[in-house]
Amino acid sequence: MLEKGKIDSNQAVMLMVSLVLPTAILFVPAIIVKHARQDAWLAAIVALLGGLLIARLVVSLSLRFPEKTLFEYAQTILGKVPGKLVGLLYIWWFLYTGALIMDEFASFLCTAIMPETPPVVLFLVGIAVAAYAVRNGLEVLSRYNQLLLPILLGLLVITFLLVTKDMKAERLLPVFDQSAPAILKGAAVPLSWLGEIVLFAMIIPFLQKPREAHRVAALATLFTGLFFAICTVVTLSVFGPNLAAHWVFPVYNTVRVVSIANFLERLDIIIVAVWVFGGFAKMGVFYYAAVLGSAQWLGLKDYRPLVAPVGLLLIGLALLCDNIVDLLDFAARAWPPYALIVFEVGMPLFLMIVALVRGKGESNA
Amino acid sequence: MLKKIAFFLLLALLTGILSGCWSRKEISEIAIVLGTGVDLTEDGRIRLTVQIARPTAFVGGGEAGAVGTEAPASWVVSAEGRTVEEAERYLAMKVPRELYWGHNVILVIGEEMAKKGTRMVTNFFQRERQPRENAWLMVTKGEAKDFLETYSDLAKTSAQAAGFLTRMKTCYAVQLREFAEMLASKGVQPTATRVEAKKAGITPGPGQEKVFTAHKQVELTGAAVFKEDKLIGWLDAYQTRGLLWLKGEAMKGAVIVPSPAEPDKNVSIRILRGSTKVVPEYDGENLRFNVIIKVEGNMVDQQSREDLARPEKIKALKEAVAEAIRQRTAVALEKAQGEYGVDIFGFGEAFHRKYKKAWRELKDRWDEEFTRAEVNVTVDVRIREIGLLTRRASTEEK
Repeated sequence: MLEKGKIDSNQAVMLMVSLVLPTAILFVPAIIVKHARQDAWLAAIVALLGGLLIARLVVSLSLRFPEKTLFEYAQTILGKVPGKLVGLLYIWWFLYTGALIMDEFASFLCTAIMPETPPVVLFLVGIAVAAYAVRNGLEVLSRYNQLLLPILLGLLVITFLLVTKDMKAERLLPVFDQSAPAILKGAAVPLSWLGEIVLFAMIIPFLQKPREAHRVAALATLFTGLFFAICTVVTLSVFGPNLAAHWVFPVYNTVRVVSIANFLERLDIIIVAVWVFGGFAKMGVFYYAAVLGSAQWLGLKDYRPLVAPVGLLLIGLALLCDNIVDLLDFAARAWPPYALIVFEVGMPLFLMIVALVRGKGESNA
Repeated sequence: MLKKIAFFLLLALLTGILSGCWSRKEISEIAIVLGTGVDLTEDGRIRLTVQIARPTAFVGGGEAGAVGTEAPASWVVSAEGRTVEEAERYLAMKVPRELYWGHNVILVIGEEMAKKGTRMVTNFFQRERQPRENAWLMVTKGEAKDFLETYSDLAKTSAQAAGFLTRMKTCYAVQLREFAEMLASKGVQPTATRVEAKKAGITPGPGQEKVFTAHKQVELTGAAVFKEDKLIGWLDAYQTRGLLWLKGEAMKGAVIVPSPAEPDKNVSIRILRGSTKVVPEYDGENLRFNVIIKVEGNMVDQQSREDLARPEKIKALKEAVAEAIRQRTAVALEKAQGEYGVDIFGFGEAFHRKYKKAWRELKDRWDEEFTRAEVNVTVDVRIREIGLLTRRASTEEK
């Protein structure tokens, strides 16, 4: 086996939260509110329910082969060549989703605090740190995440509590103002992000108790989805549906509004901390999946030689993004349907059906 | 051993790289903007005026403020351009430090600029990362430049004075983000704080009558009324009270009512808190708003001689207060519905919350509908305390 470390269920839950949450929370309210307006929180809940289904599907599939990752059991199910093809697609998907995350990461830092720093510097620094974590294996990545995620989310929750003064419940009314299609449209993007849980299929074999995978995936999705909903409600009740959709990073603006007694204010940097540390974790997970997947695909005995080349590839892909408008457009319109239909639902469902038909794997999952 | 030395050398090197002093901004290299004003010049250009803190005046100066000719606390400077950014760049050629917007307390828009449209101004302050979305937005009669060129006797600078005045919500106060929210909504037309520079007070002292004559200081004088982003009129301080009651914001201030038995004398009730509820009623044709205002206040002043510390008198006072508040709202309503024809109270938002379907039809001609709407104001008053005095000291019994 390429990865010798094992992580426990708590670490896995946190890692799966970090897989989705860090970059998504900054963008997500604007994208949902744009379609669903006052009903954005409803859309977030719909996305959460959908996310739970995807998690169920992916884990059920993986647990038929508890010792194998997605790349390995794709070959078991489909045969060698088609299986390799599926693996190649997933490597591609991990790679450019990783690059997308880096672009989001850099464009926020460039916009909010470091306008003079060229993005490539941020890419290099980010990849260097992530590469170190990836090289040291899943356990290191998980522990880093286990240490920081609670602190980051705690800080975020505290700032949300501080902004309650500026919230107005009326901004959330009326409920069900938008049509069902609009709400579903708003739910599509967060659903596609929650669907990144597909990556869990790379990690299940390294759980200490793979049988808890269902619980892990469900908990992580539930937590992430609820956090989406909370972010959306907070942003909406501070800015109202008209303004919230206009910010590029609505949660950042929400935190900037905090001003208690003209003294406790300017807490923006908290968001930056959440973003930087969370961004590393998120980038790290995708990076890790891409590296491990490539190693398994190539049939290597050790994945470490691939860390540097894959990192360079990520930087190269990230540099393809020309500007933030392209990035936002890509992240909100191009990526979600494609990720959702092909990689998050379509492929796992296809593999599941073929596995059932051919009777591959254990059926007790 | 060599490895260890190399390690520590590398570590020492890292401290140089990682401390992040690449694009550092020392406090002595930045010009802290405290207040910003934007005017439209006669040839249609944008004039940006900034009030910059003079740091030396803030060092150990105590609470004395900007009194005296030796150390003014601020420096006011302007530049013109086609856009705010262009003006800012020209400004940068005059200001020997880097402009820093993070502490900008107020954004003042001159009358002509506001008439042309505020979007040309506010966009920069929302898009840029340094200016905060919770800066106070105000519109001045006349030019913003003149407004910023004043100084204050109590606060360090006039920008801070204006900031404090708005923050205490003595009058209608609105932050940039709230203004932007109103601008983006179809159910309410924006309003902003109206400010002016007027002569107020003197700083007395032996032999200083000549030195300190009254100079212009900042003052809140009501509200500015917008249609979309264009200024269309003003409310004075009295009408603004009505606006505040109907918007359900910042219930401070006093209500002056005639004394029950001696109507030529007045009684003052200071408002402690209040709430406003707007209940729309719509049957497909007739639009009605029932506004229920709840007020709680204390009696603080009495000119008449009668004994007001009696339940029936308090009851009469309550009714008088309710009537006075109704009058104020009526004045503001008359202005909004009659003269300006815009819904500055956010009744449209309340309507949207209750009648989702009808709103879809009405939202694009909401201001018309609003001007036709009937508004019933009900005021529920509670007078809680009467201060330290039961009745005024007087020789005759009454």
